Order: sequence, then structure tokens, then C-alpha cells
Amino acid sequence: MTTPQLIWRNVWRNVWRNPRRTWLTVAATVFAVFLVVVFVAMADGMHGKMIEDAVRLSSGHVQVARDGWLENRTLEYSLRLSPELDAELRATPGVLGIAPRVSNAGLLSHGEATQGVLLLGVDPPREASVSSLSSRLWRGAFLPASVKRPLVLGAQLAENLKVGIGDQVLLYSIAYTLENAYELFEVSGTLRLPDRDLERGLALIRLDDAQHFFALGDRISEVALLAAHASEVPPLTASLETRLPLSGAEALEVNAWNEVMPELEQFIIIDDAGMYVLLLILVIVVGFGILNTILMSVLERQRELGVLLALGLRPAAIFRMVYAESLLLAAIGFAIGLLLALPVVAWFTAHPIPLSGAEMEAMAELVGMEPVVTFELRESTLPGVALTIFGVAALAALYPALKASRARPVDALRGL
Amino acid sequence: MLEARAVHKVYDSRGAETHALSDMSLRISEGEFTVLAGPSGSGKTTLLNLFGGLDEPTSGQIRLDDQDLAACTRSELAELRLRKLGFVFQAYNLIPVLTAVENVEFVMELQGVARAERRRRATGMLAELGLGELTSKRPLELSGGQQQRVAVARAIVSQPRVVLADEPTANLDSTTAGGLLDLMQTMNRERGVTFLFSTHDPMVIERAARVVRLRDGRVVADETATSL
Ligand SMILES: Nc1ncnc2c1ncn2[C@@H]1O[C@H](COP(=O)(O)OP(=O)(O)OP(=O)(O)O)[C@@H](O)[C@H]1O
Ligand SMILES: [Mg+2]
Repeated sequence: MTTPQLIWRNVWRNVWRNPRRTWLTVAATVFAVFLVVVFVAMADGMHGKMIEDAVRLSSGHVQVARDGWLENRTLEYSLRLSPELDAELRATPGVLGIAPRVSNAGLLSHGEATQGVLLLGVDPPREASVSSLSSRLWRGAFLPASVKRPLVLGAQLAENLKVGIGDQVLLYSIAYTLENAYELFEVSGTLRLPDRDLERGLALIRLDDAQHFFALGDRISEVALLAAHASEVPPLTASLETRLPLSGAEALEVNAWNEVMPELEQFIIIDDAGMYVLLLILVIVVGFGILNTILMSVLERQRELGVLLALGLRPAAIFRMVYAESLLLAAIGFAIGLLLALPVVAWFTAHPIPLSGAEMEAMAELVGMEPVVTFELRESTLPGVALTIFGVAALAALYPALKASRARPVDALRGL
Repeated sequence: MLEARAVHKVYDSRGAETHALSDMSLRISEGEFTVLAGPSGSGKTTLLNLFGGLDEPTSGQIRLDDQDLAACTRSELAELRLRKLGFVFQAYNLIPVLTAVENVEFVMELQGVARAERRRRATGMLAELGLGELTSKRPLELSGGQQQRVAVARAIVSQPRVVLADEPTANLDSTTAGGLLDLMQTMNRERGVTFLFSTHDPMVIERAARVVRLRDGRVVADETATSL
């Protein structure tokens, strides 16, 4: 074995032999690392916020329901939230909020107007531990106890139905018993929601009113759970799945947010894919820069490499030497790139950028989030970037290193 | 020790064939002090490169210590060079990023000689060659003759069995060249190091124990001095 120290000394000095070329290559690497880290953190931040907002708007991070609920969404798949089940959910580590719900489709009529709605029966205090629905109240009150059969509507829905606070509307649906169910509800408030479809189609009533309306007894259709963060969902669902009965008469199912809202996950995947393709192209361009630098330096040093071979340095050692030069360039670029990117990411993580401009707001509204850009540096990002940069540097070094180590000493000696 | 058996070397550059060596057979025994003499283009460098395993003959065999070099892998050849051979090339052959003393230490470093020991030997050798002041200079800061002496120091300091030197005195004045020859002859006498080098220099030829004269890639004379 050739002493690594000897190799590293040569590598280090070789890299600084042409400082301008080295710095140019390093600068390209720095640029790539900076952009990759900042863009990935920005995308992760935006997507993370989309998920957290969407999850808090309605679905919760995880939903527990009767097995088959997600696929069918009919009251046939309802469950009883027994005190034991409730206690089990409360005792599950990572569960921050528990909101039992009855959810079903219905029709609302007022005067001549009729609208199809997503009807959600909620228990206001428990609902507040999971979703932000009650805080999005625009007019009136949120399902107050003082009103008999109160109803809260999306503001747009209220407008379409031409109803105001205090108006009576007729709710119509099919009950658990498959009989027709209809009842008058009194509009107690309206909601402004970042999701337009939801604002046009969501109607909230009290959980007990819903159970009565649908003749459900004490049954509900789902329990929405809140976790600290979407990243904690996989362990949470795993632990729920070990704690809850997943088979038998009252078999349950545990649905993560991405199963409840597959369209949101799809949007994120597509958005990520576009960005990663661009970043990969950038990194590949940098890879060619490294290839060029290393190849040039190998070609310039033909004679010197010949001398090294003649002195008895083994071809494998020459290969390692050229390889180390490439990795050293990548390492310097990576280190400086991180040094520049991390403060930027840290700053914007602490200070989200409010989006302005009608277009941005429209786009943000489209996906149901507030118009703010947040950054989030995930644990996996830096190792991922490091792996990519060093992987590309390793690939780029392959050809020059092979060329250098395969040279016949006599040709190399004549090479100048 | 070193042997060429019916070696042909043909260079083929852009269709034109050059017969650098034709049916060359030569045997160098352990402990010899031999000079290859001959006009420019007679094949001296070619032969030295073949002996050093830096190039392969077109036909014929090169043997080092009764081992056919053609049978060695590139890695084994490197190992052979490291353990047995010292090289001085015709044109400057130092590693530009290393200082003079680091250049001289390099082979010992590869051989695994301890740091203090190799530094001591390298500085001692440089001092002996009149380069004591220049140990920390890089090759580009040295004159051609100084570089040549550093290369000689590097070739002999690791105490190889054979030193192959291509015109080691070409860039030196006669006094320095004489000093270098003294040193090599001492090593040859006292340590039994085999020397084979090419030269145009009549003074060098005069001091050699054996002179092999080449012309057009053939041995035209092989004289052993009796008057030494
Ligand atoms: N790589 C090569 N390609 C083509 N011809 C070559 C090559 N190397 C050497 N030759 C030719 O082979 C012959 C022998 O060359 P060599 O270098 O061995 O001569 P030499 O005796 O060392 O000459 P000098 O004293 O000038 O150094 C010359 O005719 C030379 O032109
Ligand atoms: Mg020559």
C-alpha cells in the first residue's frame, strides 16, 4: 500500500497548481450545492406547509375509521368510539388531538336554491384540537350551544344559497337506516376557507345533531388525529396499527393524510419531480466541469505521471491520486456551498416570505394554503446532496483516472 | 542481472516504421559499470526504457534477475522498479509539486522508509552532490544541471540494485560531472550497485569499466576496459 499521506500531499499540491482553474471548478460546485440546498429546502418548506395547512384545514394527519370506510365512504362503514378506543387513541404517543366526526353527503335547500354539500358533524372543542375550521369563522358564531341545530357554511356556499345568519335551511340526506332524513337547521355562522371548493361545499353541524339526523346512535364515521408534523405520520400509523383491531367484527383502518388526500401527495410528487430534474441537470453540468478540470490536469501531467510510474508508483495508486483530486474539488465546493446555503435556509426558515401578486395568491389558494413561502431543511437533504455531488465527482473522475493509470510510462514520459 | 535477448523494437508513427533496435542481445552482470555510447538516434534511450520495463519490445525478451518482464503485470513492474531500479531520464524528470528534498525522498517514501531516516539520507545525498542549500526549492526554481543532480540523487539514494541513467551528465560542467561519476563509482565499488547509462561524453566513456557502442539499433562494439 502506498502511504495515503504521500498521495494526499501530491493531491493537495496538484489541486492548487492551477488555482484559477481550481477556483472556477469549485465556484461551479458551490453554485450547484447552494442552489440545490436552497431550492430543495424551499420546495420541502412549501410542500410541508401545504401538507400541514391541508391537514389542519380538515383531514388531520391520520384518520381512524371502520375498515372499508375510505373506499366506500358510506355510513354503513361507521364505528363506535367506545371509551376504550378513545382512551387507546389518547394513550398513543404522538397523538396531539382527537376529533370524532360524522361525514356524509347531503343537500341544502333555501327558497329556490339547492346545493350539494359535504356535511361534517363535529364536536367543537374536540374539533379545535385537530383542525383550524373554527378559527376560520367569518361571520356569526361557530355552532353555539345557544342555537338549536346550528349550521356553519362556507361563505361562498351561503352566498350561493342566499342565506344569512339566523336563516333556516333544509338539510336533506339518506340516514344510516336508509330512510330519508330531513331537518331544518339554523345558519349560525359562515367560514372563509383557503380552498375554494371547500368554501363552496362544506357545511358543519354538531356531532350529536349529525348522529341524530343520520339515526347513527352513538356511531361516527371517522376520528381525525393530529400529529406534531407530517414526518411523524409513518411511525404514528405504524403504532396505531399495532394498537387497534385491524380484523374481526369491528375491524378498523388507519389512513394517513396522503391516503385521505392522494391528490395533494400527487401534486407534491409532480412538483418535486420537475425541480429534481432541473437540479440534476445542473449537477451534471457541474460534473462535466469537474471532468474537464481533472482531464486537463491529467493531460498536462503526462510526463510527471510517467515519472511516477517509473519510480514505482503502482497504477492503482495513480488512479487513487487522480480520484482523490476530483473528490477534493467536490469536497471544497460542497463545504463552501453549504456554508453559504445554510444561513440563507436558516434565515428563511425563521422568516417566511409572504407572497404577493395576484397570481401567486391564486396559485396558493388553488392548493389550499396560505400565500407564504417557508423553508424547511429535512434531515435527509444534506446527506442526499452530499451523495449526489460526490457521486457525480466520482463519476467524472473515472475516465481521467483510468486514463492516467493506464498510460504506459514510456508514452507518458514522451508526452511533453 | 539484466539481459536483452534478440530484441527488436520498431516504432510505428504515422505509418513510418523506425527500427530503433534490431536483433539486440546484451547481458549486464551484477556489479557492472557500463556505458551505452553511440550517436543520436542509435537506440540508447530505447534500450534503457526496455530494461526499465517502461516499454515493451516488439519481439525478443527482456530479463531482469532472470525474470521475463513480458510476464509481469503493470503492478508487478511498478513493484520491480520500486525495489530494484533507479532511474535518471534524459530530460528533466522531477515531480514539479515536490521540493528537491521531497523528490529525493519520494522513492524511499514509497518503499516505506521511516520519515526521519529518509530525510537524513536525502539531505545527506543532496549535500554530497553540492545541493545542500537548495533542498527546499521546487524543480522550477532549479537550473537544468541542478535538477539533473537531484534526479541522480533520487535514483541512487534508495539504494537500488541497478541504476539506469540516460545521459546523467548531459547538463553538467565537467567538474560537477566528475563529482557525480566519483559518487557513482564509489557506490558501484562499495555497495555493488550495477550502473548502466548512456552518454555522449568522452570523459564518461573513458571512466567506464565497459563500453557498449550502438549504431542504428545494433551493438557495434563491446569493450571492457582493462586499464582500470
Ligand atoms: N516514440 C517514437 N516514435 C517513433 N520513433 C521513435 C520513438 N522514439 C524513438 N524513436 C526513434 O528510434 C530511434 C532511436 O531512438 P532513441 O531515443 O533510442 O535514440 P538515442 O540513442 O537515445 O538518441 P539520443 O542520443 O539523441 O538521445 C531514433 O531513430 C528515434 O527517432
Ligand atoms: Mg536518448
